[in-house]
Amino acid sequence: CHTSGMLTPNGKENAQKIPREELTHLILKLLQAWKEPLSHFNQHIEHHQELPDDSLSKAKQISNMVHELKTGVEKVTEKMQSMGIISNSLNGMASSEGTGFSISNEANMMSDSDFIHCFRRDSNKVQSYLKILKCRIMPENSC
Amino acid sequence: MKRRFISSVQIILQLALTTAGLTGQSYPGKPKIIRCRSLEKETFSCWWKPGSDGGLPTNYTLFYSKDSEEKVYECPDYQASGPNSCYFDKNHTNPWTTYIITVMATNEIGSNSSDPQYVDVTSIVQPDAPVNLSLETKTSASITYLWAKWSPPPLAAVSSNSHVYHYELRLKAEEKEEWETISVGVQTEYKVTGLRAGVKYVVQVRCMLDLGEWSEWSSERNIQIPNGESPPEKPTIIKCRSPEKETFTCWWKPGSDGGHPINHTLLYSKEGEEKVYECPDYKTGGPNSCYFDKKHTSFWTIYNITVRATNEMGSNVSDPHYVDVTYIVQPDPPVNITLELKKSVNRKPYLVLTWSPPPLADVRSGWLTLEYELRLKPEEGEEWETIFVGQQTQCKMFSLNPGKRYIVQIHCKPDHHGSWSEWSPEMYIQIPTDFRVKDMVVWIIVGVLSSLICLIMSWTMILKGYRMMAFILPPVPGPKIKGIDKHLLETGKSEELLSALGCHGFPPTSDCEELLIEYLEVQDSEDQQLMPSHDTPSKNTKMIPKETDSDSGRGSCDSPSLLFEKCRESHALPSALQTQDVRTVQENKGAKQSWETQCIASEQKTLLFNNESTKSSPWPAVQLPPNNQLPMFAYHSSVEAHKIILSSTNVNISPVLVGNEEKHQSRYPVTETVHDNMEKQREMENFKTEQTVQVKQNRHNDKSPFLNPKLMDYVEVHKVRQDEEPTVLLKHKDNNGKTKKHTVPGTSKEYTKVSTVVDHNILVLMPDSRIQHTPVSQEPAMETSQNLQQGQAEKNMSYCVTAPSDCKRETSGSEYMDPSSFMPSFK
Repeated sequence: CHTSGMLTPNGKENAQKIPREELTHLILKLLQAWKEPLSHFNQHIEHHQELPDDSLSKAKQISNMVHELKTGVEKVTEKMQSMGIISNSLNGMASSEGTGFSISNEANMMSDSDFIHCFRRDSNKVQSYLKILKCRIMPENSC
Repeated sequence: MKRRFISSVQIILQLALTTAGLTGQSYPGKPKIIRCRSLEKETFSCWWKPGSDGGLPTNYTLFYSKDSEEKVYECPDYQASGPNSCYFDKNHTNPWTTYIITVMATNEIGSNSSDPQYVDVTSIVQPDAPVNLSLETKTSASITYLWAKWSPPPLAAVSSNSHVYHYELRLKAEEKEEWETISVGVQTEYKVTGLRAGVKYVVQVRCMLDLGEWSEWSSERNIQIPNGESPPEKPTIIKCRSPEKETFTCWWKPGSDGGHPINHTLLYSKEGEEKVYECPDYKTGGPNSCYFDKKHTSFWTIYNITVRATNEMGSNVSDPHYVDVTYIVQPDPPVNITLELKKSVNRKPYLVLTWSPPPLADVRSGWLTLEYELRLKPEEGEEWETIFVGQQTQCKMFSLNPGKRYIVQIHCKPDHHGSWSEWSPEMYIQIPTDFRVKDMVVWIIVGVLSSLICLIMSWTMILKGYRMMAFILPPVPGPKIKGIDKHLLETGKSEELLSALGCHGFPPTSDCEELLIEYLEVQDSEDQQLMPSHDTPSKNTKMIPKETDSDSGRGSCDSPSLLFEKCRESHALPSALQTQDVRTVQENKGAKQSWETQCIASEQKTLLFNNESTKSSPWPAVQLPPNNQLPMFAYHSSVEAHKIILSSTNVNISPVLVGNEEKHQSRYPVTETVHDNMEKQREMENFKTEQTVQVKQNRHNDKSPFLNPKLMDYVEVHKVRQDEEPTVLLKHKDNNGKTKKHTVPGTSKEYTKVSTVVDHNILVLMPDSRIQHTPVSQEPAMETSQNLQQGQAEKNMSYCVTAPSDCKRETSGSEYMDPSSFMPSFK
């Protein structure tokens, strides 16, 4: 996977240990890393005639959701920073990733099945991190 | 020359043999050289077979010569090789010469020699078989070999070691037939491969020198290839599971072992790494498992896991299993399942089920999010109803039937990838029955009321069924006498009764008893309460109550009430008649009519009967009619009846009691006469003795032909008994037979007292001295009676005193004793 290079905590303890800012940053980084490949993927499979229409629409839907999720996380991050829950130290790092381009390139080389596999994993990562983050910040709601 | 000598000797011997054959003994047979063999090409031996010995001890000699030589040698050694053999040792053996060998058998008689044998030593070389064959199985590198070892054949006298033997080995499975021959070469050991395990093999070896023949096969040797000695089969990895997304365990299934205990090792490598690790923990997960604790568990990386099985024979490796821990999460079932019964607003109970996530799952940190699902079914039901609950840990169930038992189970699953846990243990719920006191009370009340109603209805049916039947089918009313209250009769209040009847002075005296008529027939149109009984030999006394005709006696000309009214009217004038009170009473009461009969002194007594047109009942009865109808009376107690009658007669002398019908006034001249003759009334008044008999007349009403006035008309005096008691018998007369009556009144006595009734139609009258009848009065009585008779003629009524069966309808012709006629006499 093209995001394999990222250092992400690979367990619960690790995810709980790292500071919230870093966790947030990681989430955003992951989401960012998938933005480009997803759109590319969508373009790619549009030309596949044999895929059913459901898959195409689903893929589009997924990329939209990822985009929205990223936007949402950004907003939440801003809010948290404004409220002082997390610090502003890693603020500027989300968007200016130099490795983004290479990552995208790498993503283009992947086969479809690998692409989907990687995406599945990373989305799971994002979900888990977000949940941990949520329960760390607001532990009262069903945590 | 030698040859000639030999041949001549042979001839001689033959001759000797032939001559000896005649005598049983001859020279020996020709021996035969079997074979000659050399073991090692340096020595050889020859063996011969002797022929017949001719019966005599035979000596054998072997002669040989080498080729191209003339010299004949004899065998150097007869012993070495055994009997009948010759052993040529090394000195006598030339390998490249041809020997010509003959054997001669000699006995006393003669000799015989065998054919010559040309022997070339080199060609007869055959070594002995190898010896000391030993077999062994060895397993190396999971292959079982058979090691065969042997020794070359021993050579006794040969010292050189230059003999090179070639060997050959053959083997076969024990049960098989085919040998497998293997050329071994010059070694004395050999390794056999390709042998099947568990099979018994037979092995032999043989050897050969350069030239010559193969030796014999050595003796057999057996060997058993050991069974199951093989490396283990490949194990398979069954599954890997993580219960809480922090650790995981893998299980495998071993293959068959090769007869030896197997050792398993699990090796894994992570994605992107080359290093292979071994399982950190074989114990925690149980047998054939490997437990990866937190330190060794990495997420979002693919593990490559293999299992190797090893035993003495070898090892085997399973196929690799790739697993990413994120996707293999299967939690434990939820715990702490509690039930609570709550009542909602409208008193309907509902169930609140709460549970906790499994203890290992870390839901608090959000690392693992579980979704729950529960299922329930009635205890005896077949299908489960599955309810997806989501991430909440409690559920409210509303739609449960009271009184039933339910089984509930819950399981959970991670919200992302993963699999469902096992179902929690079954939980039983008993829904309490919603026992409402109100409902039960209502039902109880309803039940009680209905049972009461049923009881009441059944009782009414039972008790009043009679009445209901009467209500439904109204009974036919019986006769009734106006003005007479039956209750008075019943209670025996004679005063009132008699007053009602218009009589005075009741009860009658004893001598009035004789005057008592036993049967009185009274018409009763309605009910007939009085049932007089007769103690006389006569029959029925009972009035039939049901024969009342409501219609009878109402305003008909023949109704007794009218008659009565007539009488009343007639008596209106004579106010002196005290009895009118009674009559009025009677009138008020209505329907009573009775004719007074008086004792007839003369023979012309007749009894007037006014029959009332009522339904006839055979009884002369004085009835107290409560209404205007004319009832037929019948008395049960004749005594009372008589008394009453007498009293009434006593009281009411006047014929007023004789009811008349207005319409038929002409028929009742009696009344007219009554009206006319006040004197008669007076007479009646004066008549104290209750001599008169009131006989009620049942008149046949024109209007009511259905009536059955069974009236006996006592129209004539049958005879007069003079014996004991002078009695006048009144006979029932069919028609106008009244002549006889006239005869009777010749006597001076008045027969006004009825003693008995005989034969159902004969009224026995008894004379009464007190009663004086004037013939004058009788005349009018006669007239009246005649008139009456005439009047009666139109009537078709009969007055039946006795049994109704005897009653006949009699037309007129009944002569009645008109009490009015007697009245004057009574003054």
